[in-house]
Amino acid sequence: MSRRTAAARLDRIDPDEVANALTTFINTSIMARGRPVRSNDDLETAGVDSMGLLKILLFIEAEFGFWIPDEDLVEENIRSPRALAGYICRYLRRRRSPS
Amino acid sequence: MACALPRESVSAPARRLPLRGADLVLMAMQRLWTDAKVSNNTILVVQCDGPIAVDRIGRALDRLLDFYPWPAARLRRPFPWGKLHWAAGSRGALVPPPVRHRSVARPEELQDELEAELNSAIDPRRDPPLRFLIVDWRQEPARAQSFLVLTWFHPLMDPRGGQNLLMHLAHLDRDEPGALGALPTFVPDPDLRPLKERGRLARRSLDYMRTLTPGPLVSPGTELIGPGRVRFRQESFAERDAIASDKRATRGICWRLALVGKAMAGLWERRGLPKVPFLVPISVDLRPKGDAGPTFGNWLAFHFARFAPSETANVAALASALRRQLVDAMRDGQIEANSVAMEFLKYRPLAMMPRYLPGTSSGETFSFNCADVMDFPPALETLFGRRVVNAYHAPAVLPRPGIGVFFNRCATRHNLVVSWIEGAASEGDVAQIVEVVRAGMGWARTA
Repeated sequence: MSRRTAAARLDRIDPDEVANALTTFINTSIMARGRPVRSNDDLETAGVDSMGLLKILLFIEAEFGFWIPDEDLVEENIRSPRALAGYICRYLRRRRSPS
Repeated sequence: MACALPRESVSAPARRLPLRGADLVLMAMQRLWTDAKVSNNTILVVQCDGPIAVDRIGRALDRLLDFYPWPAARLRRPFPWGKLHWAAGSRGALVPPPVRHRSVARPEELQDELEAELNSAIDPRRDPPLRFLIVDWRQEPARAQSFLVLTWFHPLMDPRGGQNLLMHLAHLDRDEPGALGALPTFVPDPDLRPLKERGRLARRSLDYMRTLTPGPLVSPGTELIGPGRVRFRQESFAERDAIASDKRATRGICWRLALVGKAMAGLWERRGLPKVPFLVPISVDLRPKGDAGPTFGNWLAFHFARFAPSETANVAALASALRRQLVDAMRDGQIEANSVAMEFLKYRPLAMMPRYLPGTSSGETFSFNCADVMDFPPALETLFGRRVVNAYHAPAVLPRPGIGVFFNRCATRHNLVVSWIEGAASEGDVAQIVEVVRAGMGWARTA
């Protein structure tokens, strides 16, 4: 992806879209058929274990180009697809304008 | 060894369930100790708030056999070669597994009963692959408790499979409409990928595994002359109040493995064992999440964690390093490749299987065991009319490595089980391991 395209994509990044992408990935790659999660669901309660969480982190790395640092793997950031989406958007905006 | 198994009966058509890759690994590991007849049993202990009626379990088991015969199956291999499988005849020929009953008065007697279950090895060629024991603990009537003990030959199913089996029996016991009408998944779906693709993945995994152990492994059971009794110690803990971030960090398998590694490094040092790197297989549950998933067959792949005893001095740094190892393995597709490679083991004789596992040239397969079975299913809040107070599993570990540490959670109780072979570790060693893990998890002892 060119630098301009990536920048344009960051401008458009929408937490709802990110949450939808995460939810779709989780439901197709981690959850059992007939047991889908919704974007506000608590992932741990839904049965996503530490291995499932690592799969999600790999998906984020592939889709959004960064690995979530260990110190940011706290409950408020990873509780649900929406919490993860919020973190991703904050991280990307912060990275784009470090000041 | 193929010739040690009875020939396939040709007198009646048998239903067959082939063993999965992880089942075969368990068979191959046990075969290293054929002459010693070591136990390959695992127990699932469910503590209930009152006496359980033995006939209710027997009735539910009998009904289960109407749908699935595997609790009454026997292990077979076609002569002169072929796949190891569970074989069961027609429904009329199936005999439900035994359900026995005992009463004890003291905690030591209860522990003796449980350890006797672990040590009384199931011979799956001749015996049912599982059995039940009810132990009533007769304290004063107001505090009477009952322990349901499911004992099985480990290659039949993994601990989650054991829990699933109890769930199915509970449904049948409650006689819920359509209890089995929806036909829960008892066995996993076959892998439909082309043989060529699976072969490529399997070769990749084998190549990877051969790179894992440049030096000989050392385990606490290395110098055991003869296998001893299987022992285990179980303790329950409560979570102390902690900030959410700390709780999240300690829930992951990497933190727990780092802590167990620290405890083992202490044992190594006390015993003067060489400070060679630890190699520890971590089981990865392949079931999709949110659903019970398959019951029979060990539905697992393995990741091989590696670290030096010196790294255990900083548990947080080690947990982080172990997480990176795991992520790298996932990124490279090694865990998926491992599950495919293990399935290919079914084409090998048992005697050859250990050649394809890391570190077996010296007879040492890994340094110690560690696994987290996670939550006991909330659906099993009650069982055979009784409230479940606690539940945990304890496997018989092999003489080498001779020790394993296992985690699980039942409601708010955190269970820690250390399983060991007499001679590989002492009760004092085990007490120290429990304390190191308890302190590192921030758990408080329950009354």
